[in-house]
Parts: sequence; structure tokens; C-alpha cells
Amino acid sequence: MAAPSDGQGLILETSGLGKRFGGVHAVNGVNLSVPYGEVRAIIGPNGAGKTTLFNLITGDLSHDTGEIHFAGENVNGLPPHLLCRRGMGRTFQITSVFRRLTALENVQTALLAHHRRHFNFLARARRLYRAEALFLLDRVGLHDQAGKPSGMLAHGDQRRLELAIALASEPRLLLLDEPTAGMAPRERHEIMALVGRIAADTGLTVVFTEHDMDVVFAVARRITVLHQGAVLADDAPAAVRANADVQRVYLGQPVAA
Amino acid sequence: MGPAGTPGGLVPRGAGGLAVLALALALAPLALPPFFLQLLTEIAIVGLFATAFNLLMGFGGMVSFGHAAYFAIGAYTAALLVKRAGVPMLLAVPAAPIAAAVGALVFGFFIVRLSHTYFAMLSLAFAQIVFTVIFKWKGLTGGDDGLLDVWPPALLKSPVAYYYFTLVVVGLGLLALHAVIESPFGYALRSVRENPRRARFIGIDVRRHQLVAFVVSGAFSGLAGALFAFYNGSVFPDFAYFTKSFEPLVVALLGGVQSFWGPLAGAFGFKILEWLVSRQWPVYWPLFLGTIVIVVIVVLPQGFVGLTWGNGWRRRLTGKA
Amino acid sequence: MSGLSVGMFLFLVSVGMSLIFGVTRIVNLAHGSLYMVGAYLMVTLTEILPDRPWAFWLALLLAPLGVALVGGAIEAGLLRLIYHRDPLMQLIVTFGLILVIGTLVLLAWGPDNKSVSRPDALAGSVRVFGQPFPSYYLLVLGLAPVLAVGLWLVFYRTRWGMLIRAATVDREMLGALGVNVAALYTQVFVFGSWLAGLGGALAAPTVAVALGMDGDVLTTAFVVVVIGGLGSFAGSFISALLVGLLQSFGILVFPAVSIVLLFAIMAVVLIVRPWGLLGRPEA
Repeated sequence: MAAPSDGQGLILETSGLGKRFGGVHAVNGVNLSVPYGEVRAIIGPNGAGKTTLFNLITGDLSHDTGEIHFAGENVNGLPPHLLCRRGMGRTFQITSVFRRLTALENVQTALLAHHRRHFNFLARARRLYRAEALFLLDRVGLHDQAGKPSGMLAHGDQRRLELAIALASEPRLLLLDEPTAGMAPRERHEIMALVGRIAADTGLTVVFTEHDMDVVFAVARRITVLHQGAVLADDAPAAVRANADVQRVYLGQPVAA
Repeated sequence: MGPAGTPGGLVPRGAGGLAVLALALALAPLALPPFFLQLLTEIAIVGLFATAFNLLMGFGGMVSFGHAAYFAIGAYTAALLVKRAGVPMLLAVPAAPIAAAVGALVFGFFIVRLSHTYFAMLSLAFAQIVFTVIFKWKGLTGGDDGLLDVWPPALLKSPVAYYYFTLVVVGLGLLALHAVIESPFGYALRSVRENPRRARFIGIDVRRHQLVAFVVSGAFSGLAGALFAFYNGSVFPDFAYFTKSFEPLVVALLGGVQSFWGPLAGAFGFKILEWLVSRQWPVYWPLFLGTIVIVVIVVLPQGFVGLTWGNGWRRRLTGKA
Repeated sequence: MSGLSVGMFLFLVSVGMSLIFGVTRIVNLAHGSLYMVGAYLMVTLTEILPDRPWAFWLALLLAPLGVALVGGAIEAGLLRLIYHRDPLMQLIVTFGLILVIGTLVLLAWGPDNKSVSRPDALAGSVRVFGQPFPSYYLLVLGLAPVLAVGLWLVFYRTRWGMLIRAATVDREMLGALGVNVAALYTQVFVFGSWLAGLGGALAAPTVAVALGMDGDVLTTAFVVVVIGGLGSFAGSFISALLVGLLQSFGILVFPAVSIVLLFAIMAVVLIVRPWGLLGRPEA
């Protein structure tokens, strides 16, 4: 399903989104507006609430306050599998693949589910969507590893696989939770460049969290900075870099201009 | 053997071996006395029960401690239809899996809302409920006395005839289960087993999927129960007792839960063992079984081959890392 | 009224099971079997002790101790070996124990039903609200508050009880603080077994002592524990009373379906609060 071109409306909008755990506001009144086709980075120190925010958006956690609109619709309270069907895709901070299935089977299963055939009892699943699955694996550079049980793949390859799985559902919005965690610097750039290419080719909107600032500034069109659950800054990369509050939070003091 | 968790393809790799086995089974009555045919019949029935159980355990990652419930529902449905409603056996047998499926649907609806230990406990509790209902509802089920004279029609009554009948029905049942496991449903089920959170994010309603698997598993367990009813000639409440639920679990673990044919192999080994022990010391069989299982688990570092819940389970149950 | 007594037996079994789970994280499926052993021990003890007024009470004292010993043997000889193992394996081991204990009971006492006579002092009945009420139940009802208060005192007023409660919340921390957690596990299991044995011994004069007692009580204990919440003592107490009452009420009103009534309630609890009324949610 083709996404509208840049600037035409917001694919994701949260207003006043909040979540408390006991007395702690893990996420505190977050307003996020992501237009179609954007590549948005969400950064912040550890504990800033990035993953919690993701979990709220994707329905893994229920939010206490605020609203979430996806592609113009209010999606409050929708469970993850329904959000996925509406076009929201996600990868996880801790690599989340189907370990005992092969890489190919991982992607095939994702495709089967995407095409709503997962209650089909009669077909032979091995034969279905092989070509499409191999294509996706090839896209992320895993073509040669298709037959390997995914639990046995190298860490970086598992992350690529997870990306392929997420892409199999043809998402309109892709949420990547620390997609490059645990990777060597060069691999980080490779994978985010790949993400950038895919986004550009397909009009996919990407929101990702990241700690590596080089990667962030290389790929992101806009950056949202979280601090203690609230939005500290939300701007173009250069502006965020120059923002005194951000500098203070990251470095302890403003950097001389 | 295909990659981990995905045995077989269009024709199972071991097709040659299977063909030989099928031939041997078909010709067995020529070589074996009726007693051994009966043993084989029982092995086939337990094999079906355990394979149905393993759909849930090995492929679905859900360990039920109360699967005897569906076995018993199937057995009693068939027996009641034949005895009280005069339904011919050939119609009663297909009715059994339907009744068992209904039971699995009702119970499963609650059971799949839980996981791991609670899942196991609740499934055990529901099986006990089935047992108690059968036990107490004397008017319908005959209670403790059971239902007697539940025999196949004259044509199928001899050991040889019933043996063939069982082979055919079990064979069809196994084919169906194999198809389910190799189907898109089966792949999705495995993904749910591997990583439910990830499965949600490819669009699978995990709970619904687990429930459907539960129902399919229960249905084929009921079919096994019906076959057993006519083999045994009678049905008793302890078809639903928790010791019966232990059987498919041990059989599947013995044979290997990650493979489709494992439970069948396990059934073979288990029944032979039971026969050997029971003919000498009939009372001691449960003791023997319990002890063997305990010793194996304690002594072998991995317990049995294949399935463990892993540490993530402990984290979830105790609510912390 | 008898419902409260039934609730009492259930409470003893459930608290024991809940306690063991809370500290060791093992669900002891064989807990019903321990209850059964307690009942059978009562049978033997009342048979071999001389026919004197104090015999019953001595038996009531000794039987649970016997079960506690059995529990200790199980913990030391078996459970200690599997604490670190996968929970599924632990469950299967305790499931296997049911078979082992059941067969041993069969071998020791034979397949026939047994019974235990009530002590002469409590053999009759009294009139409560004009209805005859078996005097024996007065004992149980009288013991109930004593035991409940006693347990409460142990858990909330002794150092040991405090350790137990701490262990149910965070045993790693407890170990880090230098507490001998292994010894605590043994003590807890022995205590839990004692409770189950006491339940069985108390129940023995009121039911047919037979094989299959283990399954019956186990199922009902499950329901209690599911409703009350695994690991919660207060939960077990309230839940056991509830279940006991409901069972008796159900038997009066709908004899055939009292267990279905139980099931219905358990189902409702599971939908509304899957971790039980007072339990901890599964993460």
C-alpha cells in the first residue's frame, strides 16, 4: 500500500502520552508528530523512556494518559497484532527472532501472517512465499544464510533478520528499537544506510532509537530528545546539536558554540 | 530431516522407512499372535494421543497436564452414542473428536489465558473436573462402574480386524496432524512457541492461535479415546484421571518432542515397557513409571531431549529478572 | 457449617502448597499425596494405639509429624537436586511423585477404603439452630481460629516467619544477606508437609480414607490457589473458606454440579484477575 508523499499528514501522532510505574513517570506527557516518509530518531540517556514509549505506541503496554493516532485513526488500546495489521511494524531492543526456525522460515512465517493465511491448515507452508522471503533476505544481506536456524546466526545477522521480518508485514511505519545495539560501528552504518534506502524506496516512515550519534546524524531527518520521560527537544539535527538543554543533559554542561 | 522444528517436506525424508514400516504393520497379523496385535493396537492409539498432545507441547510450546480430559470425553461420547442412542460405531467414532473439540474449546478458552505453570495447573484441574463429573453423574455415565459392553460391530470385533481398523484411523489421524504441522497454521504456531511477542508483531493473535491449536489437539485426543473405548470394550472414569494425563507427556518426552514421529516412537517404547513390567508386577507400574521419570530427569542434565521452558519463564512467573 | 470444616482442610493444604511455591518456586503437585498420607497414618495410628481417650489426640499429633518427616525426606533426597532446573521438569518430577507415593500407599495399606473413628468425646452431635451438627466439626471449627492465628503469629511475629515472607519476595537478596536459604527451603517444605498432613489427619474421621484422596484434594486445592493467588497466604485463607462453603452449599442445592459451580467461579476469577485475588501478576 503506497504511502502518501512527504508532508501530507501525520502517520503517527501522540498527544500527552503518559505512563506511570508506581511513582515514576516513565513517559510523561509526550507529544510526538511524525509525518509520512520521515526518518525520525528518538534519543536520550538511558532510562529516558525510549523503549517504554515504543511499548506504549505499539500496544505492548497500556498508557495511562494521552492518545495515539496512527494514520489518522485513534488506536488507543489496540493490541499489537491489530496494529501490525494496520501497518505498524517493530523491532525489539533485544533481538527477537524465531530462534529454532531457519532464517527463511522466519520470513516466510511473517509473510504468511501478513497475507492472513495463518489459519490455513491445508497448504504446505514450506513452498509458500519462498521467492518473496528470499528477496527480503537478500535485501538485508542474508541470502546465503537462508537455511540456517536463526538462533545460530551472528548477532548482527539476527538483527538484519529481524528487520526482514518486520518488512515482511509491509509496514507503513517502522519502529526500530536500538536497531544497531551490539553491532560494530561499520555494521551500524551499513544497516542504517540500508534502512534509509528502503525508506526512500518505499516511502516507509521510520522511527528509531539509537545511542550512536554518528548514526543518528547521518540518517535522521529530525530528532526527538527524551529526558526523564518527557520531550526535551524536537527539531532538525543541527538545531538539536546546538541545543543547550540537550548538551547539558548529555554532557553535563553546554558546549561552547 | 528438515531444519530444526520442521521435519519432512512434501514427502517425509524418511518416506522409505515409513513405507517399510507400513508394510510391516500390514503384514503383522500373519506373523504375530493376537496378543501382540492387541499390543500394537494399543501402541497405535497411544501414539495418536501422544502426537496430538505434542502438537500442543512440542510445536506449540504449551504443556498440558490434563489432556486425559479430551481422551475421556472422546471415549465416553462414542460409548454413550453406541450404548444409549444406538448409533452405529462407524458414526460414533467420528463424533468423538467433535465432542472432545467442544470440550477443548470451552476449557481451552480459559487455559490459554495463562502460561506455563498456571497453564499446567489449570489444565490438570479441568481434567479432574471431567473425572469428577463422569464419576458422579452415575445416571448418564455409569459412574464408577463405567460403561460395559462397548464393542465394535461383529465385522470389526476380532483382534485382527480391529487392528486394521485402528491402523487406518490412526494413520489418517497422523496424516491430518502432519498436514496441520506443515501448514501455514503450523508455522505460525511454531513462531508463537518461539517468541509470542514477535509473533504478535507479525500480525498473529497469539491467544486465538493457541486456542485453535488446543482444540485441534483435543479433538485428535478424543479420537484416540474413542478408538480405545471399542478396543477395551468398556470405558471408566479413570480415563480422565490425572495419571492418564501423564501418559502422553512421558511418551512424547521419551520419543522426542521436537519431531513429529517422536511421540509414536515413544509410544512403542513405553507400551513395551509397560507390558514387561505389568505382567510381572501389575501393581508396581505407576511406581515404576514415576520413579523412572524422576530418575531420568534428575540424572540427565537436560532432562529429556527437547523441550524446556527456559529461564525466561522463571522471570515471568516471579515477576522479576 | 460443614463447609467451613472442608474449607479448613483445604486451607491447610493450600497454605502449605502456596508457601512452598512462594519460597522455593516449586509447585508441589504431590501435596495432595501428602494429605493422603496424613489420613492413612491416622488410620494406622488409631489402630495400633490402645483404646484410650487420649489415643486419638496422640495420633492427631503424630500423624502430621510423620508426614513432615516424609516431606523432609523428599526435600532432602529429591527436590534439592532440582531447584535449579527448568520449572517444567520440576513439575514433572512432582507429578511423578504422585504416582510413587500413591503406589506406596496402596502397597502399605491395600486397596480397600479405610476409616477413622471419631474420638468418643466428639462422636455424637449437638444441636445448632435446631439442626443436628456432628460434634467433630466443632473440633475443626475450634481449631480453625487457633491455627489461623497461630500461622499468622508465625509468619508475622517470628523471625523465621519474616524470613519466609522475605524469601517469597526476593530470595536472591536473602541469600546475599547471609541467610542460609537452603536450610530455609527444607524448613519450609517440612512445614508445608506438616500442614498438609495435619489437614489429612483432621479430615480422616470425616471422609472415606481411600486412594484417590490425593487427586480430589489436589484439584480443589488448585482451585483455591488459583482463586487466592499462588504465594499469597491471605489469599489461600479467604479462598479456601469460600471454596469450602461453596462446595457444601453446592452439594446441598445442586448436588451433581457443585464442582461445576467451583469451575465457574474459577473461570470468572481467571478472566477478571488471572493471577488470583491476592496473587502477584505474571510479568
